[in-house]
Amino acid sequence: MLGKLIKHETRATSRIFLPLYGALLILTIFTKLALAFGAPDFFSDNVATNPVIEVVLGISFTLYFIAVVALSVMTLVMIIQRFYKNLFTDEGYLMFSLPVKTWELVLSKLLVGLIWSAVCTLMIVISFFILSLGSFTMMDLTQGISMAYTEFYSTFGTSLNVLIFEIMMLIVVSTISSILMIYVSIAIGQLFNQHRIVASFGAYIVITIALQIIGSILMAIFALGNLDAVISQGQDGEAMQMIHLLINGSTLCNVILCVGFYFATQYIMKNRLNLE
Amino acid sequence: MTILSTKNLTKTYGKKTALSQINIEIPRGRIIGLLGPNGSGKSTFIKLAAGLLVPTDGEIIIAGEAPGVDTKAKVSYLSERTYLNDWMRVSEIIAFFEDFYEDFNRIKAENMLKDLNINPDDRLKTMSKGTKEKVQLILVMSRQAQLYLLDEPIGGVDPAARDYILNTIITNYKEDAAVIISTHLIADIEQILDDIIFINQGELVMSSSVDEIREAHNKSVDGLFREVFKC
Repeated sequence: MLGKLIKHETRATSRIFLPLYGALLILTIFTKLALAFGAPDFFSDNVATNPVIEVVLGISFTLYFIAVVALSVMTLVMIIQRFYKNLFTDEGYLMFSLPVKTWELVLSKLLVGLIWSAVCTLMIVISFFILSLGSFTMMDLTQGISMAYTEFYSTFGTSLNVLIFEIMMLIVVSTISSILMIYVSIAIGQLFNQHRIVASFGAYIVITIALQIIGSILMAIFALGNLDAVISQGQDGEAMQMIHLLINGSTLCNVILCVGFYFATQYIMKNRLNLE
Repeated sequence: MTILSTKNLTKTYGKKTALSQINIEIPRGRIIGLLGPNGSGKSTFIKLAAGLLVPTDGEIIIAGEAPGVDTKAKVSYLSERTYLNDWMRVSEIIAFFEDFYEDFNRIKAENMLKDLNINPDDRLKTMSKGTKEKVQLILVMSRQAQLYLLDEPIGGVDPAARDYILNTIITNYKEDAAVIISTHLIADIEQILDDIIFINQGELVMSSSVDEIREAHNKSVDGLFREVFKC
């Protein structure tokens, strides 16, 4: 049943996202063409550009920028809206009478939300890449990357891959925990008889503040515990070790948050559900 | 054989008691009217049976199990709300139901849509509230469920469609299924009811068969209702 939920969730969201991605791609290509034909030397200051083309470029850059922002905002809005509207308003009467488990409902929304977050990032990266085509060659790119690797190795004595992998893990886990934090706030809002949206916002703010406080305390403890490393900043190896510790520590904390948020959300939905 | 039974079923919202100590047994093969004034606990009872609410105390058993995934597959629930996505076409909602409910009968649904002149390619956004309610009822009655829970099924539809819908309800359920209809439009559905349950302020007032009422009180259900719940 999880698969079917994911299928229908994807169907319900793609009708919003696909046109937006299309718009971004079209704007990217249009801007790129305008740049390539109208002003090949746009980025070097000493060449005067035709004023008409300057206006066209100005407009297309603005539209492009709006599309990028709209896409990011829309991804967040959809993550919130699909969870709230589909489960806790009138539509919830249908969703909760389907023969599916509560955790499947939560997980299907989360997975599809994650996929769209990833696709959104990917689309923006692709679009930057298209825009910057021609301003560098593939050789430049591979050379740059391999240089970064050798330099990193010679300074710290470890491979850059490990660090990149750890950072990627942190990004994925913290994205999941931030989505689940929204979910748990919405679920907490449902515990109130009135003003549930306000209560959800309130819950979100309270959780944020609580996490800030706990985070500061943890950081303080961490800094105190690694006082030697903090003082002897000069030694690269130790500094690197501390960075690893910091990243993996944050990942672990986020994993704990994910588990907590997920089970709290599911508990409320299963045992305290009371649709308006 | 019993399809639904409750033991001291109680539901409170904060300090407010919606249902208190309800004990009933509902046999298969009957159409039961769940009747009571506004706010008497009808919807709460139906939501508990549909698994949308969890009892505060006591228990509710459907086909031998507490409400959960298994009972939801056997229960066809029509909520008082229009719960369908606005952006969907009727045909897309049919596909949705077909995907999630194994007992959904597409042909039945399509025939009923045709009878009520509803185009499957129409979007719900363009429909009136009454038409949406009809679509919802068609979807719910197109399932081969063991228990139908219909919360205010005829409130918003015109009298002509009302007759069609009531007729559909009578002809569509199998021998071993039961139908629970909650409403306060008693006169309209009286002729199809086998049993009635009167509830008021969360408490069971009376549970009886319609024949018994007519014999013992020499009154119609509607008349008895007016007498029992006289303001």
